[in-house]
Amino acid sequence: MDSERIETLLEKYWNAETSLDEENELHLFFQAHPASEKWNEAAALFRYLSNEKNKTIPDPFFDQAVTKQIGQRHKGKTIRMRNGFQIMRIAAGILVMVAAVYLIGMEVRKTSPQERADTETDPQLAFEETKKALLMISRNFNKAQQEVGKINLLNEAEQKIRNRPATPEQEIKD
Amino acid sequence: MNLEDFENRVLPAKHKLYRFAFRMLGSREEAKDVVQDVMIKVWHGRDLAEVQNMEAWCMRITKNLLLDRLRSRQRKGTYSIEGSDEFHQEELTPHEKTEQNESMKRIDQLMATLPDKQRQVMHLRDVEGHSYHEIGEILELDMNQVKVNLFRARNTVREKLIKLNAYGL
Repeated sequence: MDSERIETLLEKYWNAETSLDEENELHLFFQAHPASEKWNEAAALFRYLSNEKNKTIPDPFFDQAVTKQIGQRHKGKTIRMRNGFQIMRIAAGILVMVAAVYLIGMEVRKTSPQERADTETDPQLAFEETKKALLMISRNFNKAQQEVGKINLLNEAEQKIRNRPATPEQEIKD
Repeated sequence: MNLEDFENRVLPAKHKLYRFAFRMLGSREEAKDVVQDVMIKVWHGRDLAEVQNMEAWCMRITKNLLLDRLRSRQRKGTYSIEGSDEFHQEELTPHEKTEQNESMKRIDQLMATLPDKQRQVMHLRDVEGHSYHEIGEILELDMNQVKVNLFRARNTVREKLIKLNAYGL
């Protein structure tokens, strides 16, 4: 191959204008002339690229490892079934909890029927009960008011002390 | 897809996928893991009967997995470049072999400095011999972007090689 052709092809190559066939031509040329002085950079690069083309996966048992993994993934479906069982177990647990809460609730309602019965059926008794409850609230309210009154007394006293003018002794000290 | 189909159509692409993964990750072990993940993904993929170019399809999956790995590396801030494999040429003297290996390592490092997209395009074209159309399909780029990236990559490599040559390639 004449050097003019290589020169032209290389120029096209650097400008990314070569076809795959032309690039193959260059590869073949530099394989035959690996230490070309004239095109030192291109020779080094094509040598490097040829070396790269020959690289293989560094594991002679790669295929077996992959097919084995694929087989395991196949069995993965059983794992998914196991996951289903797990979900069912959790669901059963939740069901037991809900049933227990419901049954306990029922039991509680059964043991305290008087609360539910209340006084609704007898208006007089209901009135009495309401009166009793309101009286209790009012009693407690009054008690609270008395306590608040005490606090007010304290506040008034504090205000008086604050508003009193300073004595001459205190003025000297200041 | 049955196992026979898988063995005939997918497994033979392993070396190509590995080279591509190694080019982008610079780690043999990680590259091998990625290829394994690709194989499993393809096996579990649906409608593979419709895939015409299985190799390009596998390459595309590899590219996507590589992007995930590179992103996670960026987050962790880790990057390692393992040296290229030894250069084998029987007829060379030990001295020449050492020189060649040095030269290979330098070009390897030089290639690693290229932006990801340029590195991918140059690898797919110059190592794997893919057409612009196939590269566009694999990297999900249009033809123009493929050509621009290849032009930039080759020019950067050329400039750096000239500089390296000045110090003795």
